[in-house]
Amino acid sequence: MHALKIENVYKSFGDTEVLKGINVAIEPGQFLILVGPSGCGKSTLLNIIAGLEAATSGHIYIGEREVTNLSPKDRDIAMVFQSYALYPNMSVRKNISFGLEIRKVPKAEQRETVQRVATMLQIEDLLDRKPSQLSGGQRQRVAMGRALARDPSIFLFDEPLSNLDAKLRVEMRAEMKELHQRIQSTVVYVTHDQIEAMTLGDLIAVMKDGIIQQFGPPQVIYNAPKNMFVAGFLGSPSMNFIPAVVEQTESGLGAFLEGGAGRIFIPLVHCTQALKAWVGKAVVLGIRPEQITHAPEHEGRIQIGVCRINRVELTGPDALVTTCLNKTDVIARVQPSSLCQVGETMALGFDTSMIVAFDPATEEAIV
Amino acid sequence: MNKAVGRQHRAGRLFIYGCLLLVAVYYLVPLFVMIMTSLKPLDEIRTGSLLGLPLNPTLEAWRVAWGSACTGVSCEGLKGYFWNSVFMVVPAVVISTMIGAFNGYVLTQWRFRGSDVLFGALLLGCFIPFQVVLLPMARTLGFLGISGSVAGLVFVHVIYGVAFTTLFFRNFYVNIPRELTNAARIDGAGFWLIFFRIVLPLSPPIIVVSVIWQFTQIWNDFLFGVVYSAGNQQPITVALNNLVNTSTGVKQYNVDMAAAIIAALPTLVVYVVSGKYFVRGLTAGSVKG
Repeated sequence: MHALKIENVYKSFGDTEVLKGINVAIEPGQFLILVGPSGCGKSTLLNIIAGLEAATSGHIYIGEREVTNLSPKDRDIAMVFQSYALYPNMSVRKNISFGLEIRKVPKAEQRETVQRVATMLQIEDLLDRKPSQLSGGQRQRVAMGRALARDPSIFLFDEPLSNLDAKLRVEMRAEMKELHQRIQSTVVYVTHDQIEAMTLGDLIAVMKDGIIQQFGPPQVIYNAPKNMFVAGFLGSPSMNFIPAVVEQTESGLGAFLEGGAGRIFIPLVHCTQALKAWVGKAVVLGIRPEQITHAPEHEGRIQIGVCRINRVELTGPDALVTTCLNKTDVIARVQPSSLCQVGETMALGFDTSMIVAFDPATEEAIV
Repeated sequence: MNKAVGRQHRAGRLFIYGCLLLVAVYYLVPLFVMIMTSLKPLDEIRTGSLLGLPLNPTLEAWRVAWGSACTGVSCEGLKGYFWNSVFMVVPAVVISTMIGAFNGYVLTQWRFRGSDVLFGALLLGCFIPFQVVLLPMARTLGFLGISGSVAGLVFVHVIYGVAFTTLFFRNFYVNIPRELTNAARIDGAGFWLIFFRIVLPLSPPIIVVSVIWQFTQIWNDFLFGVVYSAGNQQPITVALNNLVNTSTGVKQYNVDMAAAIIAALPTLVVYVVSGKYFVRGLTAGSVKG
C-alpha cells in the first residue's frame, strides 16, 4: 500500500501549464522532498495534495482512498505553512486545539493532546500566549504542534524553515529530522533549499517547469543526476560543467582538459558502452568541486594536474579555488593549508570515479 | 551650543502649539456660540453680545426643543424624530456593516471568476450621487410597500452604504494572508466557521471605521430623509429643518441652537467613544506574523 500516490496530475491556470503529468508514489513513513527553483510548480503540487487547489486532471490517493475530489478537511492531512498561519486572535493552546474542537474531539482528550504535543515540542510555557508574543522559532514550533495534534496520515510542509534566520534554520532542521524518526510519519516537504532537501529527505523529487526531472533517494540523485539541471541544482557550490571531447586512448576512453600548465587526462570509467558512440564528439563533463582537491599523497583513480589559480574563496573548513580548464571556470574544494596565492599554479587531484558525462544538446546524462 | 539648540527647539514647539491652539479655537468658536446661545433666555440674546456668557443660564430652550417646539403643524419637539433617527440608524449601520464584512470576506478569501469585476461594480456605487437614485428608489420602496416609513429609510441606507462598507472590509481583508484561511480549511473549518472564528475576530479596527462612517453618513442624511419619509416618520435632520423654518412670530435662536446640538450630539458621542479604538485600530492590529 502506498501512503500517497499521485497519478498523472496536470494543472493549468488559464493557458499556462504549471504541472505537466506528475507521477509520484511513496510508502508509509517516508519523507518526500519536492525541490526546485521558484515557479517550478512544487507549491502548487503540495496545494493539490492538500486539496486547497483542484488538479485539472489526474488522481490523488492517500492510503487506499482516492481523495481527488475530497475537500481538505476530509483528506486526513495536516499542513505547516511558510508564514505559519497561526490564528492571531487565539492563544497557542487554542491554535493547537482548534482543529480538534472543530472535529468534535471530547474536551478532556483535547487537553491531553495539547499537553502531549506541547511537551514534545517544548512549548508548554507558551500555551497561554498569543502568536504575536512569540519569536519566529516559537511560532514555527506552534505551527508544527498544530499539525502534530491532528495526528494525520500525511504531513504537508510548505517551506516551513525559510522564514527563520540561518542558525535557527539549521537547529529546526535537525529537530525535524529527529521528530520524523521518532514518530515515523509520512511527510511531503516543499523547499527550494537543496541542503534541506539532501539532509531531510528519504526521497527527493527535483522539479522544473512542472515536470519531475528526477525522483529517488538523495544520494542517488547527487551521484547520478539524470540531467544537467538536476546535477547543477543539488550541491553547493554546484557541479562544474566542462566541455570536452571523448577520445579513445591506449588506456581506454577519456578526455583531455587544457589548463594553464599542460593537459590533464581524465579517464572515463562509467558507462563506457554508451560513451563509445561519442568518441570524437563533444560532451559535457560534470565534476563536483569536492572531487577536485589539493593533490593527495595516495594514488588510485586520482589524476593530478597542475593548474593556474584565478580566484580563492575561504569558507572556513575548506577553500574554493577557481581555475580555468577548457576555457571554463572550474571550482575545486581544497584544504586551506595547501592553499597558494592567486596567479600561482597548484597541483590538483581529480577524482575521476564520479564523473558524469552529459549530452551537450539534450543536457541528459549519457548512460 | 547645547543651550542654543535647546532654545531653538523650544521656539519651534511654541510655534507648533500656537498654531494648533489657533486652529482649535477657530473650530470651537461656533460650538461655543451655539452652547452659550442655547443657555440664554431670548431677551438676553437680543440685547447681549454673541460671545458673552449667559447671565441667567437656563435649560428652558433645551426643554422646548426636545419636547414642545413646533415642527410644521405638530408641536411636540424633536423627541419623536430623535428616536426615529435612532431606529433608522442602528439597524442600517448594523446591517450594512455586516453585509460589508461578508462581501469583503468573500471577495478576498473566496475569490471566484469575475469577483474583481463585481468589486469594481460595487465600487461604482460609491460615486453615484444621491439625486440619481431618488426616483427609481421611490418606485422600489412603493413596490416593496415600505415607502414613507422608517423601515424604508433603513432599506435605502443599507443599499447605499454597502458600497462603502464593502470597500472598507475588502481592503482590510485583502491583507489577511490566504494561508490563514487555508490553515483553517485544513483544520476542518467551513465557510461560516472561518468567517466567525478567524476573520471576524481580526476585524474590530475596520468595524469601528465602518460604524463611524456609516453612523455619521446616515444620521446626517437629509435628502433621503426628506424624500422617503413623511409625517411622524421623519428623521431628526428633517425635523430640525422644519423646526427652524417654522416661525410663529419671533425667531427663537436659543431653541434653534439647542435643537441643532441635540441633532448633532449622537455623532459626537460616537466619535468620542469609538475614536480611541479608531486610532488604536489604525496603529495596532497588524495581522502579519
